[in-house]
Amino acid sequence: MKESVPHKKLPVALIFSLLGILFVLLFVADILLGSIIIPVKEVFYSLFSTSETNETYRTIILSFRFPKALTAIMTGAALSLSGLQMQTVFRNPLAGPYVLGISAGASLGVALFVLGFSSVLAAGIFTTTGAWPLALVAWAGSFLVMLLVLFVSMKVNDIMTILILGILFTSAVSAIVSILQYFSNESMLKAFIVWTMGSLGNVTKAQLSVLAPAILTGILLAFLKIKDLNAFLLGENYARSLGVSIKTSRIIIFLSTSLLAGTITAFCGPIGFIGIAVPHICRVIFKTANHLILVPAVILTGSIVMLFSDIVSQLPGMQTTLPINSVTALIGIPVIIWMIVKNKKFVSVS
Amino acid sequence: MKKNNFNIELQQLSVGYEQPGGNPLEILKAINFSATPGEMVALIGSNGIGKSTLLRTLAGFQPWFSGNIQISGRNLKNINSKEVARIMSFVSTENVRVPNLSVFDLVAYGRFPYTNWIGMLSELDKSVVDEAIKNVGLQGFENRPVMQISDGERQRAMIARALAQDTPVIILDEPTAYLDVSNKYEIFHLLQVLANKKKKTIILSTHDLNIALREVDKLWIATDCGNYQGAPEDAVLQGWLNQLFKNDHVGFDADEGEFFFKKEFKAKVKVEGGGLPLTWTLRALNRKGYQIVMQAEHDYRVVAKENSWELISKGNQKTFGSVYELMAFLETPK
Repeated sequence: MKESVPHKKLPVALIFSLLGILFVLLFVADILLGSIIIPVKEVFYSLFSTSETNETYRTIILSFRFPKALTAIMTGAALSLSGLQMQTVFRNPLAGPYVLGISAGASLGVALFVLGFSSVLAAGIFTTTGAWPLALVAWAGSFLVMLLVLFVSMKVNDIMTILILGILFTSAVSAIVSILQYFSNESMLKAFIVWTMGSLGNVTKAQLSVLAPAILTGILLAFLKIKDLNAFLLGENYARSLGVSIKTSRIIIFLSTSLLAGTITAFCGPIGFIGIAVPHICRVIFKTANHLILVPAVILTGSIVMLFSDIVSQLPGMQTTLPINSVTALIGIPVIIWMIVKNKKFVSVS
Repeated sequence: MKKNNFNIELQQLSVGYEQPGGNPLEILKAINFSATPGEMVALIGSNGIGKSTLLRTLAGFQPWFSGNIQISGRNLKNINSKEVARIMSFVSTENVRVPNLSVFDLVAYGRFPYTNWIGMLSELDKSVVDEAIKNVGLQGFENRPVMQISDGERQRAMIARALAQDTPVIILDEPTAYLDVSNKYEIFHLLQVLANKKKKTIILSTHDLNIALREVDKLWIATDCGNYQGAPEDAVLQGWLNQLFKNDHVGFDADEGEFFFKKEFKAKVKVEGGGLPLTWTLRALNRKGYQIVMQAEHDYRVVAKENSWELISKGNQKTFGSVYELMAFLETPK
């Protein structure tokens, strides 16, 4: 469908090129900027040569900045892509990666682990074990929810029922988490709160080797369903009449979403608003409803937005970092407000 | 596969849906309907009788309880959804509101069953889409966003999408709902042309009975006291149209070919005159519930002329300049 309007073809390629350039610039900037500002040439030395490198810079770049920048890219791409898929499948512009309750499931896993076992675990356990245990329980939580959602979607035909169940499940989980918080000790509570603020910097190189294949699988599944995603835009009746196998397709899309959002939430915490805002930014930039353009567009734009958020959050030249969740909220919420105001007439019509 | 061979037969079909409690609710039973290529069929029946359910079942969206749906001798159950998409296309009442979707892209959805895994359109696909847009008279609208065209234009675009799907059978659920009168006629006419010229089987449900009676080749009538299929004229002659409504106030006037509202008569009026003034004066009196009589015994006598209306009642005579004034005087309490 991209080729249907020939005069639009050039701008699409042009926009992708410009975004590509922006992506490279922000990626480099994200590595250079931070509490210590690194000269450009050191990046190339540490990446491509072994001799002339300043060891401190080399360590910072290879062990911290580079994995963090990669994590930012994957986070932006994954959350935006799962948001796009959810908005299309639920035909709801306010749907995001977490509507199925994936973030709630991850939170429950983390809350049960951190808060529930706080009496058993020694305080400061996370400083010794790293982020692995948190990531694993969060993953387990979100995948349990995913299985539940897949089970429900095999039984229930109505997509709105699935949406409502997702919202109710999220509320129920927050209630349980609140109870756990009430009864937990201070240091564990802080560990949990810190997790909910999100962080890109805790992902180690070893964890990247788990994160990357999971995200790539999710992206691959989404690419396989580009055509079906387009059909879902017309609603399920039309999709079915065009020969789409609704249940199979929906399950693969949910699987992709859960893999993308669930994995990111497990390793980086529940990062909000990117998943809702980026698909809308892309629709405005590309002026298309075709997922053949939108899927790569949200991957690229999501990465850009996340790299930018990360640069902002590490406050170049200063010793502190802001919680990434607050930064993405401050970037994402204006977009969502703008979208609601702009769509007001359509909301009031139907 | 030969395209001109898609006979549709519903045999002793019983349709309905699962209720929330899990109990099946049968809403239409023992239906025996059929349609052949080149035929435009209208499914009519009162609200809630199950027209949409029947069409959805026929389109393969939901299972049925018993009986059979045969498409050129094959059971619909044994045809997979990808193949069904090449046999039947569907136009629903659902309003498609997709931002940034052009008319061309919407119609191009029809090529979905034929395109590759990412949905890239071939030159052939594009020419089929252009042809479909031309057939519904939407040339020049290709790049217009579907959110910014009128309801009538959007309905045409949806029909073009069904055409682009290039199926021998097109099913439409109330394609003329929400349209103004001239658009209703145009859509019916368009579908009639498609059925006749392209030998497609067109099955639609509608509440626009007056138009359906004039335009369709066959009626499928679903009522509480049985089902009927056949030419609309046979349906009139056999009195099926009077069966459509359960209430006593609406009837079908077989002479006029129209539905009317049954009223209590207020007074007897004898009307004289000729041509259009007479016809429309009669209608106005009818509307307000006056009985038109021929014989000498009457309450009022009206003489309808070209631009004036005389009312004679018990020796008094009054002249009016319009039907409106005449009716206003008649309706004023004496």
